[in-house]
Amino acid sequence: MPWAAGIKESSWKFPLIESIHSLGISTMLWPAAILDMRLLGVVMRRRPVSQVAGQFLPWVWAGFSVMVLTGIVIFCAEAVKCYNSPFFRAKLVLIALAGMNALTFHKTVYRNIEAWDQAAATPFRARMAGALSLLFWIAVVAMGRIVAYA
Amino acid sequence: MLSSLQPFYEWCGNTALGMWIRDTVWAFPLIETFHLLALAVLLGSVLIINLRILGCGARFASASQLAGDLEPWIRVSIVVGIFSGVLLFMSEPMKCYESYSFPVKMGLIVAGVVFHFTGERKWALGAQGFRSKLAAGVALVLWTGVGLAGKGIPYI
Repeated sequence: MPWAAGIKESSWKFPLIESIHSLGISTMLWPAAILDMRLLGVVMRRRPVSQVAGQFLPWVWAGFSVMVLTGIVIFCAEAVKCYNSPFFRAKLVLIALAGMNALTFHKTVYRNIEAWDQAAATPFRARMAGALSLLFWIAVVAMGRIVAYA
Repeated sequence: MLSSLQPFYEWCGNTALGMWIRDTVWAFPLIETFHLLALAVLLGSVLIINLRILGCGARFASASQLAGDLEPWIRVSIVVGIFSGVLLFMSEPMKCYESYSFPVKMGLIVAGVVFHFTGERKWALGAQGFRSKLAAGVALVLWTGVGLAGKGIPYI
């Protein structure tokens, strides 16, 4: 696509979009990690889970939208490199897994949040969801770096 | 960059550590992953605390409570960021030497760290009204600048 080639060739467009994509990790991944770690009982133990989720999930969604949009643009500019990279495919699979994990969490154990909202030690399935989410997203970042360099 | 420092940059690139990172396929992306995660924790925390001071974001706790909750993470991320950053630098110092972004990034890190342990506490959390909002804005600009300048190193 001509617009995508233009982004790759421009001296400032590609670095700028890549910067937004990288800084987006802070607005998406860290708030998500805080919620995950609340589920694991590591941080903000005295605050209700529903409050932490309510405050930080909007950040995660906003950040995720930015990540997807800038990610698509980067993909179009480097489509061949990405298509040929097994790590890029792994990255997409990991994002899908992270999404399914979050969906499962919200459809199951989060349904009866009232029962464990205040608890420092959350149910096993909630801790499991938190741990998996952390693992998947860290792996997504790692895959992204490998796509860029290996 | 200061040309008098050139021998130092060259020496860094010729150390066993620098050469090992350069010659190992997975070392650079792995260290960079740590560097990027440290930035995410640091910048993410700075965003959460300072946007709260500016009146948006996480309202369930006061800015001071959020700052208290996140301070250990900020410190750990600064340490991990510097440590991984030194390793990345050792592997490609000449790229940094030729880059305009690199000295800008180093300057912003020094300013950000100094501001974090001095003015940010005193004004962003201690003061009220405009002065605290200004301090919050300065912290946001400094750390976002660190991220942007870092991304700029391979390009300018």
